[in-house]
Amino acid sequence: MFDFGVWILAQARFRPEFIWDNRDAFLGGVRLTVFIAIVAFALATVLGLGVALLRMSKNRLLAPIVAAYINIFRAIPLLVFVVFVYYGIAIQFDVKISAIQAGILVLTLQYSAWLGEIFRGGIQAVSDGQTQAALSVGMSRPQTFFRVVLPQAIRIVIPPTGNMFIGMIKDSSLVFIIGVPELFRVSSVMANRTFRYFEVYLGAVIFYLILTTAAYFGVKYLEKRFALVDVLTTRVRSPFARRRGVRLRMIQDAVASERESKSSGTATAM
Amino acid sequence: MSQTGDAQPVVRLRNIHKSFDSNHVLRGIDLTVGQGQHVVVFGPSGSGKSTLLRTTNLLETPDSGSVWFDGKEYGPGIEGEGLPRGKARLLRQEIGMVFQQFNLFPHITALDNVALALRRVRGMKRDKAEHKAATYLDRVGLLDKLGAFPSQLSGGQQQRVAIARSLVMEPKVMLFDEPTSALDPELVGEVLAVMRDLAESGMTMVVVTHEMGFAREAGDLNIFMDDGLVVESGGKELYSDAREPRTRAFFEAIL
Repeated sequence: MFDFGVWILAQARFRPEFIWDNRDAFLGGVRLTVFIAIVAFALATVLGLGVALLRMSKNRLLAPIVAAYINIFRAIPLLVFVVFVYYGIAIQFDVKISAIQAGILVLTLQYSAWLGEIFRGGIQAVSDGQTQAALSVGMSRPQTFFRVVLPQAIRIVIPPTGNMFIGMIKDSSLVFIIGVPELFRVSSVMANRTFRYFEVYLGAVIFYLILTTAAYFGVKYLEKRFALVDVLTTRVRSPFARRRGVRLRMIQDAVASERESKSSGTATAM
Repeated sequence: MSQTGDAQPVVRLRNIHKSFDSNHVLRGIDLTVGQGQHVVVFGPSGSGKSTLLRTTNLLETPDSGSVWFDGKEYGPGIEGEGLPRGKARLLRQEIGMVFQQFNLFPHITALDNVALALRRVRGMKRDKAEHKAATYLDRVGLLDKLGAFPSQLSGGQQQRVAIARSLVMEPKVMLFDEPTSALDPELVGEVLAVMRDLAESGMTMVVVTHEMGFAREAGDLNIFMDDGLVVESGGKELYSDAREPRTRAFFEAIL
């Protein structure tokens, strides 16, 4: 049906400055989006590690329960899940939970299932020989896991986990449906009030792009930070790596001079 | 080098059995390793050599039989003897192992590979641990590679770091599981040289290898295994006149 009022507004001049004028409202939404994404992702990471470990355990009771957890939480559409938890469960059972809490809870549950599978893959990608070598020098099982297996698994899972974090920023927009005033909710309220749909949603797109791009470079930085560089033979810039280089050189010199003095000592004795 | 037989026993395996599912890999192994003795184990692949080594430091738990080391018994044990029991983790601190695939920790430097167990197992302070680790890397000729990561080292260098990683714990026994089999031919020599030095220093060693030159030179007790059993064992004479046809056939095939 043709709506004359909407048509008139659509013909109005494009006003990019509208985004700038409303920056405070947008930034309020951005702040909440970042808060939700970071909190939910941190919780999901901890929970996901637990899920991965339990999934790999030989416990005949726990392993299938965790497998079911993963399959269920991965399978429910996020939007349906949010509505079900906030309007369904919370009202039916009179659970006192805020919309923000409900949103974080749902994002955490779903992402813990995804991250659990990523972490399991990463841990299993570390060869058995690593565990055997660590045990063979007398390390305990927990030491072997935390000092040898986990650090290698972390390197393996950085790229896919980074993708999940970018996904989290985007998926956090779905909690708009229960009224959480994050970036998308703030934008749609603003658009409906001002009828400046193009400017408002363009603003939302720009802010989401800024957030996800920042996250992308964050992941790139982490990958670089975890790269393996020989500080003795490579020119390194970070002060930490430089100090390490100086230290290694000192150890080298000390051991070399001990060896010298030992061999010259035997020479004079003979 | 030390003699066969009369040396003080360090490790004793008695009637060791081990199966993986329906595959009966070890079928009653008895072996006594004396102080300073160099035991060389041969046999076709699948004969149970690796499993024998891995059972000795309890990376595999035997299904039955007894591992005796330094006054304590490990594994299921022999019924009715009531020997004092030991913890596998403590045994592994005293018995070093070198793997065919090196198994260096790829995420830390050569120095940290060697220092890790000193710090985490022996509880040594970082300064002391790193200094001692560097001394052992120097011993295998790799003092200039302290800061290198395993992926930046050749196979021979990696295996020497792996040997230093075991030696730094000052083990009473060293186990070598085909330490040169994964190396390019030109890199075998540098690893064997380190092993020869170690043998000359009096270290007790059990070596699974197909390097016949090293075996003839260092092997005080030579064991031929096939199908989960010790077919024949003996001193250096085993190489020239083996009694068992299976042993002779194996030597003929690899020489």
